[in-house]
Amino acid sequence: MKIYEDLTPLLKRSRITFFIICFMFLCITVLFWKIQILDHKKYILLAEKNRLREENLTASRGLIKDRNGVILAENRASFNVSLIRENCSDINISIKKISKLLGIKENILRERINQYKFYPKFKPIVIKENLKMEEIARIEALKIEFPELVIQFEPKRYYPFHEIGAHIIGYVQEISSQELKKEKFKNLKMGDIIGKAGIEKKYDALLRGKNGKIRKIVDSRGRFIRELSRIKPIAGKDLSLTIDFDLQKKAQDLLAEKEGAIIMLNPKNGEILVMASNPSYDPNKFVRRFNQKEWEKLVNDARSPLENRAIRGLYAPGSIFKLTIALAGLQNGLVRPRSSFYCGGKAFFYNKEFSCWNKGGHGKVNFYNAIRHSCNIYFYNIGNMLGIEKINIWANQLGFGKITGIDLPGEKQGLVPSPEWKKIKLHSPWFPGETISLSIGQGPILVTPLQIAVHTAIIANRGKKIVPHLLKSNREYSNERIKINKEYFEDVIEGMWEAVNLKGTGKLAQLQGFNICGKTGSTQIISKNENENNKIKTHSWFTGFAPRNNPQIVVTIIVEYGGMGGETAAPLARELFKLYREKNGF
Amino acid sequence: MDFRRFINHFDWSLLGIALAISVIGVLAIHSSTHYIDNEFYVKQVIWIVVSLVSLFLIVCIDYNYIINYSPYYYFSMIIILISLLFFGSKISKSRSWLDLGLFNIQPSELTKIAIILFLIYILSRSRWDYISWKDKLTGGLVILLPMFLVILQPDLGTAVTYFPIYLGALFITGIDKKIFIIILVILILFSTFGWYFLLKDYQKQRISIFLFPEKDPLNSGYHVIQSKIAIGSGGFLGKGYKKGTQSQLRFLPARHTDFILSVIGEEFGYLGIFILLNLYFALFYRIFNIIKQAKDRTGIYLVYLIGVLLFFQFFVNGMMVIGFFPVVGIPMPLLSYGGSSLLTTYICIGLIINVKMRKFIYG
Repeated sequence: MKIYEDLTPLLKRSRITFFIICFMFLCITVLFWKIQILDHKKYILLAEKNRLREENLTASRGLIKDRNGVILAENRASFNVSLIRENCSDINISIKKISKLLGIKENILRERINQYKFYPKFKPIVIKENLKMEEIARIEALKIEFPELVIQFEPKRYYPFHEIGAHIIGYVQEISSQELKKEKFKNLKMGDIIGKAGIEKKYDALLRGKNGKIRKIVDSRGRFIRELSRIKPIAGKDLSLTIDFDLQKKAQDLLAEKEGAIIMLNPKNGEILVMASNPSYDPNKFVRRFNQKEWEKLVNDARSPLENRAIRGLYAPGSIFKLTIALAGLQNGLVRPRSSFYCGGKAFFYNKEFSCWNKGGHGKVNFYNAIRHSCNIYFYNIGNMLGIEKINIWANQLGFGKITGIDLPGEKQGLVPSPEWKKIKLHSPWFPGETISLSIGQGPILVTPLQIAVHTAIIANRGKKIVPHLLKSNREYSNERIKINKEYFEDVIEGMWEAVNLKGTGKLAQLQGFNICGKTGSTQIISKNENENNKIKTHSWFTGFAPRNNPQIVVTIIVEYGGMGGETAAPLARELFKLYREKNGF
Repeated sequence: MDFRRFINHFDWSLLGIALAISVIGVLAIHSSTHYIDNEFYVKQVIWIVVSLVSLFLIVCIDYNYIINYSPYYYFSMIIILISLLFFGSKISKSRSWLDLGLFNIQPSELTKIAIILFLIYILSRSRWDYISWKDKLTGGLVILLPMFLVILQPDLGTAVTYFPIYLGALFITGIDKKIFIIILVILILFSTFGWYFLLKDYQKQRISIFLFPEKDPLNSGYHVIQSKIAIGSGGFLGKGYKKGTQSQLRFLPARHTDFILSVIGEEFGYLGIFILLNLYFALFYRIFNIIKQAKDRTGIYLVYLIGVLLFFQFFVNGMMVIGFFPVVGIPMPLLSYGGSSLLTTYICIGLIINVKMRKFIYG
């Protein structure tokens, strides 16, 4: 037998709850009314916009040619297969099947698709590029089994000469999400191709042109109904470079198996004919989408093949810096061409011994012989008389410690040391002994091969400055002169001429009848190879120009770990001077 | 109980309202998925039939009898939930599915019933209008244990729906009014203000990523925007059956499950929504009316807690599709596609009808 309970308080609470529920019903009814009736117009517009589909019309990218019209970068047709997610019944099954069909690993495929997961589902995602004919045939044959796959055509960048000129030309790649946020890329979309290095990057806006687009309306099943508008793409501009392909190829052949850089430029106008850096890489590898491993291998390679050593490699100039000291000494009236110093193989400055590279000594040397034999003692003396402040000023004047202004991204400015620099960076005062080492281009001074080439051009021009460049144009790049008397340049040039032609340090560069003037350099560094027990190794420099009067061409070479400059770099320079003379009929 | 009384006291109108909503659901499911090679609406019809059979079976057993056995039910659900964490089938990154060969089922849905029954088992031991603190705390644990297990799956949406059961229980058993209102106000203020004002966007994203790894925030943002466009563009009369550009163009995600209301909003307009909302209102009106007829404390608790649970799901889903509540993955009861949710809801309705049929104290 049960007793009757007093349930009235429960019923009261239940009634309160129901009142709250009624109120919430009212809220939700009003909110739907606001969205469906009050804001209807706004949403109908948005819904219409959803029915609009935009399709990109990719502008063809401009070609890159050398000075004689050899095509260095072109566009080739590539057939890609893409996945449309909304046509998959189950994305996981699709991935499995496609992985088998195309021979792509499942996780790579998944990663690729996940990159684009914010894309609307009807947009195709490229999953394999550069399909071969038989692959296209196979996919087309299995079209019913794979409704989610479509084959699309796309122009693709191609570099026909692979490693040759790679550092100059650079490469293109899909724009990254970070780059998309930048102001200058505001008109681009995910999946667009932009230049990522070299000329492709520097002149990207010119080369890229302007993409067009088609706007069309689709029906509720996504089928095309009609075209609304079409903006035609504007093709990118073709660029002609100042590069000479034959010389560039020769230079890279000469550097094969070595690490180093070669620059050839026209001292009259700054046009660069050769800019080689070795080891090099194949830019075509970057253009493809699925090569993460190869890409990482390149980026992490200890020999850094991606670095353009010509503008980014930093080296001590070694004996080549003696030219700067010589010019500064003459201009400051500290030496005259007849001034002689005695070289006994070593000398003492500030209670420290400094030696000449020739242990036996050069005996009594005058100015010309000092350059010809690259006598250290002679330049220790001039450097000592000049002092660090003056060396710093003249080195800057002659192009060191600042960028040359070449039209390539990423150029380094190097370093010309000064007491202020040392105080800030190393917190210690400048010692006079350091000035002595600096006089022969050793110590903390760092230059790029391009700076050496520009420096050489200034000497060849007897003081006229240039701005090196790769894009062919009629623009006057520079008309400035350095405030050093012409006759002093002639004195230095005489020394450089003797170095090559009168059995000086550069004698292996000698070419009968071409009057090459040059200077070698060797910089001692500690080996970077750990197995060799910190053995001292030498970078090998040569820089020069020809002919002596009316100079046409400057050649600058650095070979890392090449030994003495006269032995390794000078013969390479001879080869290049020779080919240049043959091509231009001197 | 003889058959005639069964016919007389069975609440046909409550079942009728529920079925009407379900039929609208089937139509909307068909509209939003007819172009996909998967006959969702047929499956839904089969589930409705299965649910009706379960409902009629439930009605035959006295609810007091059911509640007496509820501890067994509750603890077997807990064991299933635990084993699910190890052996559950993964569907969209969450281990919430039990593979029964022919079909999959979501035990976390059926756990709702277990929680309600077991909670009532504990609370109705007291015959007076007073519940000891000990029992209140035990009740809290009854909710928290499965909630914790379901969050681990992770399925936050379902776990969240367990909570109002407890709030409802506290209220109906007579917690001090002041304390209850304070708890409620703090909870609502904290969650709304916290979400909209205290947290920065990226913090919200981080929390969302943490709480719902299966739904990245950008995607759920996309869901809400597309859902609002669908509903808003429906206007007063809608775009017509199977003519919604949003749902047909597949801009709407999860359009046959959590966002089914958007399909209806788009294709049948405000008129359709208004009719549907009224059907739901009728449903809840009916449920709260039955409370008045219940013969005992247990019956009131049962109908009341089920009513609160269903209303919470209805309200959250309705606010979610128009962007006034974060996307947490709660289906619309009776309307959304999904067997487990449907079965659970119909069993709940069966329990309510059960209470109504046994409104007389004698057998």
